[in-house]
Amino acid sequence: MPPSFPSVEFFEALRREMREERERFSRLGFFDTTFGVRVLDAGDRPAEFVLTFEVFDCVAVEDRRSARPRDFVLEGPLAAWRAMLDNIHALGAADTAHSVNTLTHFGESLRVCYDDPDGHDKLYRFAESIQEFFDLASRVDFTYPDGSRPPARHTPLERSAP
Amino acid sequence: MSYLSTTDFTEDEAFVDRFQRTMKGDLDLSWLDEPRERVGCRPENPRRGLTFRDLDVGGYGFSEMPEVIRKNRSFAPRGAALADGLPDLQADVNRKSEVWAYNVEGYYEEAMTRQWNATTDIPWADLQAHELPEDIGKAYAQLLTFLTEVEMIATDVPAKWLGRLNADFFEVKNFIATQAMDEARHAEIFRKRALSTGWGLMRASAHNEFNLKFLRDADSFAEASLTLHLQAEGMVLTLFRFSEYISPTEGDKKLFRLVMQDEARHVGYGMQHLKWVLDHYPERREAIHRHLDEAENFVFGAVYATEVLEPFIILAGKGLKKENVAEGIRITMAFNLKQTDEYFERLAKCGLPERRDRSRLWKATEMARQSMASAA
Repeated sequence: MPPSFPSVEFFEALRREMREERERFSRLGFFDTTFGVRVLDAGDRPAEFVLTFEVFDCVAVEDRRSARPRDFVLEGPLAAWRAMLDNIHALGAADTAHSVNTLTHFGESLRVCYDDPDGHDKLYRFAESIQEFFDLASRVDFTYPDGSRPPARHTPLERSAP
Repeated sequence: MSYLSTTDFTEDEAFVDRFQRTMKGDLDLSWLDEPRERVGCRPENPRRGLTFRDLDVGGYGFSEMPEVIRKNRSFAPRGAALADGLPDLQADVNRKSEVWAYNVEGYYEEAMTRQWNATTDIPWADLQAHELPEDIGKAYAQLLTFLTEVEMIATDVPAKWLGRLNADFFEVKNFIATQAMDEARHAEIFRKRALSTGWGLMRASAHNEFNLKFLRDADSFAEASLTLHLQAEGMVLTLFRFSEYISPTEGDKKLFRLVMQDEARHVGYGMQHLKWVLDHYPERREAIHRHLDEAENFVFGAVYATEVLEPFIILAGKGLKKENVAEGIRITMAFNLKQTDEYFERLAKCGLPERRDRSRLWKATEMARQSMASAA
């Protein structure tokens, strides 16, 4: 049964895909941050997940009970997350309107929450690694809470130069 | 040739005699008996490899380095035995709090693993396939001209200071060497992108260059770092994020994500350096404020320079029609407020929360915010 977004299982699937792409992520460099993903209207209360990256790997996927301090939290309604993931699934990678930076820049779609500007800046220090991590969703078969699925891939979009 | 040897070695009897005896097998070997601190550094995390943090042991380490470096004035690497007669290189910066930053060794390792290549990591062929409309293309070429100007000086500043820091500040020197490389790559990529738009380089900006000259001519490394790493690069980081936001193609988005990674690392060093200064040399607080008073005047002139502001308006509004320009002004104003907010947020986190009360830039930003709110 495919994992549902949002869930620990969904992020575990991304983590497995990341492990498959170890060489690609090693080329991007050290990736040391812990951040949260918060989906505001996924149920009775916001769903929150904590992703920890160390060296070149995702080393932990936890739910809201994680005691790890977060550098920042990406927060938004399910519709905004869905728009991003649908776009990635359809194209293989986010297009110009759906990159993490674009969606969060003015907080119109997704929002970046943080207490420490140094933690906030890690979103940008590791921008390409974070974007490529979310782009791996194009390879995951998953469903949304209403049982629907993201659109099938129709146009290849290469993020890296050949 | 301004530095001449005080010895003519070919005429120095003792030196020549020693050389001849060595070559006959009569080795001196006194260096073998130098009492040394023996260490066997190992990676704490084998996946990460052997890092500078793993070398932070005893006299070789940085944790026990004194605030003022009085002993080593030469090129001797920290921890090496200092022979008699080493030259005094007259480093300009010999005080740790002038250069040090929490986690500087970590920023260096991160920089080394996150290097990228402007020639091969950008899908240049795909970018060629996207022809930009004339107004967007020219505005983008103007923005790229401005960014090339900025990155050239951002290369010069760390390079200028590199050889002026005491050799004991090994990790800082290495970090700013990576920064010079990063900034050179940024100048390279913006020049390449400008020349690949079909419009070439547009107009240099006098107001921007006044600010760049101010950055270059700082009286001390601490002043240069405050205005380069924390103020200018902090503002440029927000600008890169905005540029990614308004980028017309996926290739341009990638370009800005790659440069923003480097810029954020430099800002990280700047923040951790200012924190270090305020924790270890608090009497500098007033000097920092005075420098920022002047720096903020320059930056106000640079940010609102015609050659900077107008391309942003056109790119953000996606054109030159009246309605595009109105939308572009709205978005650009929001960007400028965000840029200034983030700058003051970083200063507050570093230990300068009172900066807002003192700053004319903050007052001007507040007026702009009120005018935007009343227009909405």
